[in-house]
Amino acid sequence: MKFTYNWLKDFVETKLTAGQLAGKLTMAGLEVTSLEEKGKDFVFEIEVTSNRPDWLSVIGIAREVAAITGKKIKGATRAVNRQSAGKCKKPCEDTLAIQVENKKDCPLYTAKVIRNVEVGPSPDWLRERLELVGCRSVNNVVDITNYILFTFGEPLHAFDLDILKGDMICVRRARSKEKITTIDGEPKELNENILVIADRDNPVAVAGVMGGRNSEVTEKTKNVLLEAAVFEPVLIRRGRRALGLQSESSYRFERGVDLEMVEPASWEAERLLQDICGGSCVLAKASTRPKKKPRTVALDTSDTKKFLGADIAVSKIKSILSGLGFSWKAKSAKRLSVGIPSHRPDVAVAVDLLEEIARIYGYEKIPNTLPAVKPRVPEFQERDAIRLIKNILVGLGLQEVITYSLIERGRLKGFFPEQEAVAIANPLSSEQEMLRPTLMPSLSAAVAYNLQQKAPYISIFEIAKVYQVNGKETYHLGIAFCGTRSLWFGPQSPHANDQAGILHLRGVLDVLFQRLGLLAPAEACHFAQGQGLDEYSVQVQKKTMTVGMLKRLPGEILDRLDIKHREVFLAEVDLGKIIPRIQKIRPIRPPARYPGITRDISLSLPQGITFEKISQEISNNGKELLQEVKMSDYYTGKHISAGHKGLTVSCLYCSAERTLTDAEVNTIHAQVIKALQEKLGATIR
Amino acid sequence: MDIEALNKDVESAIRQVNSLQELDELRQKYLGRKGIIAELTGSIPGLPKEQRGAFGQQVNALKQKINALIIGKQQSLGQAAVGPAEGLQDITMPGVACEPGKLHPITQVIQEICTIFMNMGFAVFEGPEIETEYNNFTGLNIPLEHPSRDVFDTFYLESQSKDRLLLRSHTSPAQVRVMKSSKPPLAVVVPGKVYRPDAVDASHSFMFHQIEGFMVDEEIKFSDLKGVLEVFAKAVFGKDIKMRFRPHFFPFTEPSAEIDISCIICGGKGCSVCGRKGWLEILGSGMIHPNVFKQVGYPAGKYTGFAFGLGIERIAMLKYGINDIRLFFENDLRFLKQF
Repeated sequence: MKFTYNWLKDFVETKLTAGQLAGKLTMAGLEVTSLEEKGKDFVFEIEVTSNRPDWLSVIGIAREVAAITGKKIKGATRAVNRQSAGKCKKPCEDTLAIQVENKKDCPLYTAKVIRNVEVGPSPDWLRERLELVGCRSVNNVVDITNYILFTFGEPLHAFDLDILKGDMICVRRARSKEKITTIDGEPKELNENILVIADRDNPVAVAGVMGGRNSEVTEKTKNVLLEAAVFEPVLIRRGRRALGLQSESSYRFERGVDLEMVEPASWEAERLLQDICGGSCVLAKASTRPKKKPRTVALDTSDTKKFLGADIAVSKIKSILSGLGFSWKAKSAKRLSVGIPSHRPDVAVAVDLLEEIARIYGYEKIPNTLPAVKPRVPEFQERDAIRLIKNILVGLGLQEVITYSLIERGRLKGFFPEQEAVAIANPLSSEQEMLRPTLMPSLSAAVAYNLQQKAPYISIFEIAKVYQVNGKETYHLGIAFCGTRSLWFGPQSPHANDQAGILHLRGVLDVLFQRLGLLAPAEACHFAQGQGLDEYSVQVQKKTMTVGMLKRLPGEILDRLDIKHREVFLAEVDLGKIIPRIQKIRPIRPPARYPGITRDISLSLPQGITFEKISQEISNNGKELLQEVKMSDYYTGKHISAGHKGLTVSCLYCSAERTLTDAEVNTIHAQVIKALQEKLGATIR
Repeated sequence: MDIEALNKDVESAIRQVNSLQELDELRQKYLGRKGIIAELTGSIPGLPKEQRGAFGQQVNALKQKINALIIGKQQSLGQAAVGPAEGLQDITMPGVACEPGKLHPITQVIQEICTIFMNMGFAVFEGPEIETEYNNFTGLNIPLEHPSRDVFDTFYLESQSKDRLLLRSHTSPAQVRVMKSSKPPLAVVVPGKVYRPDAVDASHSFMFHQIEGFMVDEEIKFSDLKGVLEVFAKAVFGKDIKMRFRPHFFPFTEPSAEIDISCIICGGKGCSVCGRKGWLEILGSGMIHPNVFKQVGYPAGKYTGFAFGLGIERIAMLKYGINDIRLFFENDLRFLKQF
């Protein structure tokens, strides 16, 4: 809402400068978003919240200024006085019938017939004022209706009377398929949900939104029908949305127009039409006014202390209320019955009045206090688990990312059947079509983006919700690895390269599951071949429950993401299945008191023998003294026969009761080697 | 060479050593590249096949023993380690360390803010992102067809069921959820993602993060809201910032207030970040509207409470001097690694 300093001063005296006034208004809840000096005036722009339609008028703002500064509002009464004298000067032959189809749609409709207007350019003062608030000057009649709209917050409409047929105005719902061309020149098809103003035959305006082109006031207009009315807010809102229209009028009607302002505004317009355009009012008609129910709200003044925390004297409370246009009756020393003026539809309960008191008293004068917080027993919840998981992952050198939950339909291809994903009914763009059922497409895109930025090595993770068609949402963990990095371990070992692979994913998950206490044998995680060659599934609960998958991106997805000469490795884990299995407290063993003995074995094995089989075989034969089997070298190439691989594994033997002798370890270790040779076809190198 | 004899020689030799230099000479003698152990190892292939294994193990055991003795002696000589004779390495070379991962800046800000409120006794709750129209609007005193909904443009889900589901456009539905399931006293913060169909530009994103906070009990006052949020703002932005509480309107609070802090860039003089106003808006707040208590089934007039909500991206942008919200979701590692 824009208004000017001088325009405001027509209605309230103030010695405050424009800048000081802007500060006062902002701190009273009318946030001034800009203040500009233009010519001899200042243009204010304020943000008007949707609960205060009364601030969509200069008079409404003047009331507020009067309340803040302790002044009285002036000028507005002039029009009200005129209303009582509001009789047409000469009796005439004109007849006009007003038919309101449904009183609920239109609580009040008034029309004035003004004859012999001279349509032309507006006087300078009028044109300049409108232009200062960003309203284009059209002609004197239209400008007067706009001037009254901004001043009173009451939208008016002027029709060319001689175009209207049948001496009647009908406020009714449009009929199905009825058409109108509005002032903006667009033909519109109407329906029963849209309220129109019609003459005997056709709609001549979309009620409260925009007039029709054929009945608009032009230079040829001689006689005018001036409409001032109140329409049902929801109906106006629906109508203007259905037609894709928005106007200063609809903006006010859908927020609520003050019934009490209709007559003063339209009589003031009549006066200006007479003064500026030379017209005279020959007929004034109105539909029956709805019965006024005076509204009162009971206020306990001691609530300012109990609810606001401020000591405000009862006398101060009364003066604040009066200043804002509320009336009050004292019911007891502390209790007031407060009368609500018609321009304050937002005030319905006592807290609304407490806000008014606090606002004018000044929020800044209310003290700052601290409440007593009653402690609660904290529980370990999902959120704490996620925080723990994130900390473990960053500790492993992974970077957290946050990607959008909404993705383009096409990006699901190769990851997830799109018909099983939730679609958004009203996306603004194709990037917002679906709620993602998997994190993998977004992580792949994040990898692709960073590759474009020439990142040599990417190791990222995200924990976010994924969504199912039934509206269920679950936290998933996604991890992505890509690229090669050279690591610096100092001059002693300067040539270390780290090339991302599927085992990087496994390593991260091994550490994570171990830290979360998902331990052998029941919960330990297993990695099993998945559906495709490039996929592995992650299983827990003795391999009976699949909790996630590891994947190497197939060529067609790499092509789609424009990733060249790189492999991308992804993991996704359903945290909804993991978090309930977290063991917060798990057994910790004391370190061995007696030193262990390590024996390395270098083997050559057929390619198909997995490390799992080898370590299983070693464990079976190493018995209880075997503490740990570690992979320490891997080799393929010219020193190993084709179809074979070379491995070195370290076996740690240790006892909790005594120092082992070489001899007993040798015996066991010899059995281990024998088993590897006989059962797995290994040769010792 | 006799392993048994060597065993004894080594023990007495090390016992007699009195300086680190002597110890190092001894190490060279036994463990050096051309030392005794290397010599023994080299002799293994020349042995008869059946002796090789046992001999190798003996040599290995001896090597470990010598190592252990040398390390023990080093400690008794009062030194941690014997460095190479040529002295320390070039200290100006890059240090050796793993590159750390980092939490996303949004996660960091959420954790910081949650911690501040948890220290004041608030509990953390998370609600779902897919919400009902009731929890997102009606339960919060936002009528379905009302201009107050205009600021809450909302994504709806395509759905066969008759209940319209949406992506929450603010974290406030959590108020309804928590209050429906628990009785006061309540002190809760709710961090999470929210969604609004906005065209993406430097200051708008269709997905962003908010933290909702609220406190409900029998005697919660507007002055408590002021006090708690002052503690919060000073903890995040520093003790010296100035604050102001401005009347505003939210359908679910009455009275409502927007909170500004003095601009952390210009200190209140006016700059491009604060739009020459000297103030930065950081959050919206107010006393929970009686209609919300009514919706969740609390007895009329029994409880009062305050609520507030703030945008995490906005706080992060102010804190780190970032002027484009898209950076948070682009996930450029060169950006993220700085936090």
